[in-house]
Amino acid sequence: MRVQQADSGDSELYASHQKIYPREVSGRFTRLRVLAILSLLGIYYLTPLLQWGGRQAILFDLPARKFYLFGLTLWPQDFIYLAALLILAGLSLFFFTALLGRVWCGYACPQTVWTEAYLWIERKIEGKRTARMKLDKAPNSAAKIRTKILKHTVWIVFSLWTGFTFVSYFTPFDELAGELFTASLGPWETFWILFYSFATYGNAGFMREQVCKYMCPYARFQSAMFDSDTLIVAYHPERGEPRGSRRRGSDYEAQGLGACIDCNVCVQVCPTGIDIRDGLQYECIACSACIDACDEIMDKMSYPRGLIKYTTENAAEGKPQHILRPRVIVYATILLVLCGILVTHLVQRIPLELDVIRDRNTLYRETRDGLIENVYTLKLLNMDSRPHRYTLRAEGIDGLKLVTDQGEIFVEAGSVYQMVVRLQADEFNLEQRSVPVSFHLQAAEANHLTVIEEARFVGPGKT
Amino acid sequence: MSAVTPQKIPRIQQAISVLWPSFIVAVVATGLFFSAFNPRDLVPYNFDIAISPLAAYSLGFFIFWIIALVSSYGTLYFTISNCRFLSKQDK
Repeated sequence: MRVQQADSGDSELYASHQKIYPREVSGRFTRLRVLAILSLLGIYYLTPLLQWGGRQAILFDLPARKFYLFGLTLWPQDFIYLAALLILAGLSLFFFTALLGRVWCGYACPQTVWTEAYLWIERKIEGKRTARMKLDKAPNSAAKIRTKILKHTVWIVFSLWTGFTFVSYFTPFDELAGELFTASLGPWETFWILFYSFATYGNAGFMREQVCKYMCPYARFQSAMFDSDTLIVAYHPERGEPRGSRRRGSDYEAQGLGACIDCNVCVQVCPTGIDIRDGLQYECIACSACIDACDEIMDKMSYPRGLIKYTTENAAEGKPQHILRPRVIVYATILLVLCGILVTHLVQRIPLELDVIRDRNTLYRETRDGLIENVYTLKLLNMDSRPHRYTLRAEGIDGLKLVTDQGEIFVEAGSVYQMVVRLQADEFNLEQRSVPVSFHLQAAEANHLTVIEEARFVGPGKT
Repeated sequence: MSAVTPQKIPRIQQAISVLWPSFIVAVVATGLFFSAFNPRDLVPYNFDIAISPLAAYSLGFFIFWIIALVSSYGTLYFTISNCRFLSKQDK
């Protein structure tokens, strides 16, 4: 059972496209799939409605350059966390692929989720597989055009809702809805709503399995994560072959037949239009529709279920199976270690930053009292979700004096405060022309909110 | 079965193979670029153009997409033309 590639695969890859009409299917895996699809759609459409502390719970506020994730506020400086999150997502994909095969493709990929939603609409309006095929073959008539217009209208409305929801992750939902109803949507917001809607409409309505076959990078490299213990959807040729039609209740073994009645239902239900009986193919998204379809036929024939089933290469060949194997352990270990690092960093993250810029116009000046003075511009970033009062001090030179026009510094939640400070030192205490100094910034009521920023103090130097 | 050569790839798939990878690259590049630079700081001093942040991010994205698109198209173009050249040599 190897992935079929080479000649047959290539010629198919470049063949002109034939529309696939997946037949409706029911069964235990289909129920699981519908559950997964509905939950994911629910998460997508309802998340922007969630509120947290007076604002949208999850919001990429682009104009303010902040990313709100429930209680957490991430700044552009924290981009590393998002990058780490993406790496974690990639690694989990590796881990789950090694263990469960293409479970992502069949149950969770947005392409699958929206394709199923669009197919469901198509079925509700155009009818079952045979009715849909008949409708497409029929010459244009008023009834056909009416049905098609209805389907596309519902698809477009659903797409627009999807596009609107997408943009509401970047512009608060309330604001966006208000702008929509007063017809005052900004040009770029309108553009992105339409762009995302068009992408949804095209991908879920028309491209469908072609996205998996021609555009998806994961479909091409997922076999690299596979081994003989990976869960796959497979047909059992030893039991099924030779396939052939027979009368119900007849002794097929006596007729020299296998359990497969060659009804082709497994091919008809396949959303990518393949025949699972040809073996594992890269087009197979492991959606398990053929399992449910075949089980139903087996029940009707009073044969045991499982002619097509979830299995592993080792199980199918009667070899011992291993869930824990080096590949799985390695992926799991890397995943856990990275998760640990990310969580530790997030917990220890200090939502405070101090930038120090030394005045570049003058190296130093001498005060009336004969002290050497340097001027600095300080930028305080309070990245916390609460306002804070901070105290500032400077160290590094004996008798170093910090001159500011305020004692405690008040910075609003999520804002930047800029101030100019002066440092004064006795020339006698300056060992070199340039001495390192450090600014210590600490929140008055929260000791852990402390940052230290290094700077240079420039003087005339020892003569 | 005749050998499949890149010039036989349908137009639509050629278009996808250029548009799609460059789109992904543009998304990543836009994310990286704008996490490092605030569009407000990129406008030179005393030069006031009234452009919203969303417009700036969108334009940035399209600039990245065009750059990546040119590269992707180059790859496709050279693949196809080299293939044509090689198949001519074979004859």
